[in-house]
Amino acid sequence: MSGSETASATGHAGRGASLLVAALASAFGVLLLETTSVLATVVSGNDVSRIAAVRAALSIVAFLFITIAVYVSAIVTTNTVATVIAGRTRTIALMRLIGSSAGDQRRAVALDGLKVGLAGAVLGAAAGILLSFAGVRLAFGAGLIPDLGYRLLEPLLALPVVIVVLSTWCAAWVGSRRVLTVSPMQAVGAAQERTLEESARRPGRNAFAIVLMATGVLFLAGGVWAGQVTEYGVLLGLAGGLLSFTGLVLGSHLIMPPMLSLVGRFLGGSAPARLAVANASQHPERSARTTIGLVIGVTLITMFAVAGSTFETMMQPLMDDPVTRAAVSETVSTSLAVISVLVGFSALIAAVGMINNLALSVLQRSREIGLLRALGFTGRQVRAMILAESVQMTVAAVTLGLVLGVAYGWAAAQSLFGSVTHAGLVAPSIPWLLVTLCVVGTAVLTVGATILPARRAVSLAPIAALAAG
Amino acid sequence: MEITSAELGLAARVTNLCKTYGSATTSVTALDDVSIGIRRGQFTAIMGPSGSGKSTLMHIMAGLDEAGSGRVWLGDTEITGLGDSELTVLRRRRIGFIFQSFNLVPTLDVRGNITMPFALDGRRPDAAEKDWIDQLTDSLGLGDRLRHRPHELSGGQQQRVAIARALATRPELVFADEPTGNLDSRSGREVLTLLKAASTGYGQSIAMVTHDPIAASFADRILFLADGRVVEDRERSTAEEISGIMLGMEQCA
Repeated sequence: MSGSETASATGHAGRGASLLVAALASAFGVLLLETTSVLATVVSGNDVSRIAAVRAALSIVAFLFITIAVYVSAIVTTNTVATVIAGRTRTIALMRLIGSSAGDQRRAVALDGLKVGLAGAVLGAAAGILLSFAGVRLAFGAGLIPDLGYRLLEPLLALPVVIVVLSTWCAAWVGSRRVLTVSPMQAVGAAQERTLEESARRPGRNAFAIVLMATGVLFLAGGVWAGQVTEYGVLLGLAGGLLSFTGLVLGSHLIMPPMLSLVGRFLGGSAPARLAVANASQHPERSARTTIGLVIGVTLITMFAVAGSTFETMMQPLMDDPVTRAAVSETVSTSLAVISVLVGFSALIAAVGMINNLALSVLQRSREIGLLRALGFTGRQVRAMILAESVQMTVAAVTLGLVLGVAYGWAAAQSLFGSVTHAGLVAPSIPWLLVTLCVVGTAVLTVGATILPARRAVSLAPIAALAAG
Repeated sequence: MEITSAELGLAARVTNLCKTYGSATTSVTALDDVSIGIRRGQFTAIMGPSGSGKSTLMHIMAGLDEAGSGRVWLGDTEITGLGDSELTVLRRRRIGFIFQSFNLVPTLDVRGNITMPFALDGRRPDAAEKDWIDQLTDSLGLGDRLRHRPHELSGGQQQRVAIARALATRPELVFADEPTGNLDSRSGREVLTLLKAASTGYGQSIAMVTHDPIAASFADRILFLADGRVVEDRERSTAEEISGIMLGMEQCA
């Protein structure tokens, strides 16, 4: 396969994934707003004056989760665009060579992002509205909700659509900054992603990320300490959480590669495993891009779950009455289930991003895989290599996400409820059901993510590596 | 009983090989009834202009592409009709490759690239093989580069790594596809001298595809292809003689 064919193939794959991510985020936003609308109507009966107030309260919660989903999808889209650009270096260099400016090239990528965002958001919104109509009809048919005047089409629904379009556009713009580092000379020589990655190493960003993380951790510790005395400790903790997490996302290329090579050690010393480990550790930017979305998703789910169950543990000594105990426990687990589903949607978006990045990285390595086949790598070994890469990435991402989620969730519970319960510092309580679900989900994702890329890689003719150019 | 390749002193041979590409209406004949043998211990050049079928011939002989009709042997093993996994193992253990664009694995260092054929086989080089690899890397001047990665090396150095990788398993036959195509003339000459030394020094059989008369002048024997047929078979020749034959072929066409 020639370079330009690979470039356009990765372009299409990247666009498809970005479209799906935008559609998912938009559908999620619309569905969530529709749900709050239906809930508000049900709660208020047909008393129109009450609906608005209930609606406002529910919408604030809905937008919190929409923001999380949009944040995750923006990161996924940024990374997808960056990966596509990295694979398209030669085409971009060629365009630069024949006289296109870097700005033109970047604007073209961003415009593409705008179009994809628009198409995805509208499609997702349409799907969300259709699902809402179907859901209301089903719920009514099953006798779960009374027959009230549900308003399923309203101007507010345009808001998530606009947010998704704008965030996809911005994500494409941010992800395309690498276009600026492509030199026309790269069309002449044999350009690899490597040169691009090296030029992208910025000490400024690294230092900033480390400072953010360190400050954030200090604030978190301060929040936990202050939380023993006042519930306002949570504000300190919240600031710490935001700072340290932003630092983590910015510095993911510093954190993920060591995590990946740690996991890689358990994969053994076979040729497929060693190549997989080398691939992940020598493309720190690419492996960070591929995994960070999943880290965020798992961290968020775990954080809410651990915060909830740690809160429950802290409350237990205060409640002598077993009935109250059971009631609190019931409320906590119901809220946790709802929150997990809501955040789980963001994790789903992150998983789409990871699968897509793995597929793109296989596409971009067509030559290398063809070479391995020519030199005597069997189809089974190629499959094993891709599976090993996937195992390495998901295990590293989910493990880090679980650890971070436990830490953040514990800090949140301590800083918010420490002063109320006077329980002192308690050990974080870990909901094992959730951990098990995460592990099972990881296993499914790991194998599922490799099906298409592996099929593609095995079908590559070794001759592809021999074709010059 | 058939005569074996070994009895003929051949490392590989093809008989009545044909290959066409495309569908019936748009078919292109790449190889038209080709029968040749690559002699054991010799450095053979396969020459011809673009589109003469020389690359197709090499791909089929190396088990990378399927023959349309005819038969192909590597040593005494007939490879026509072998399945993908058998061909894969055959390439891994019995064939070495050197490509025009070096084709090293970018994520592995020089040592990792050289020992890759062993790693693919799921084993480490034994003591004798280790000695051989040390000897190779020394004679190729790579001794102090073993921890470097491909992008840290010049083109000539990368091609020397590829040569070391191709020779590491002492394969029955090394295929070199325009090995000097991406090199400056000095590095190109170095690479050709090294290939020639491998063949005269310890009898490595090498088949090199090229369209460069200077490269072909390093070979013990030169096969000329045009329009999918073998048109000349010469012993060692000078670059001038080879150019003359090539020009003559162009004028006939």
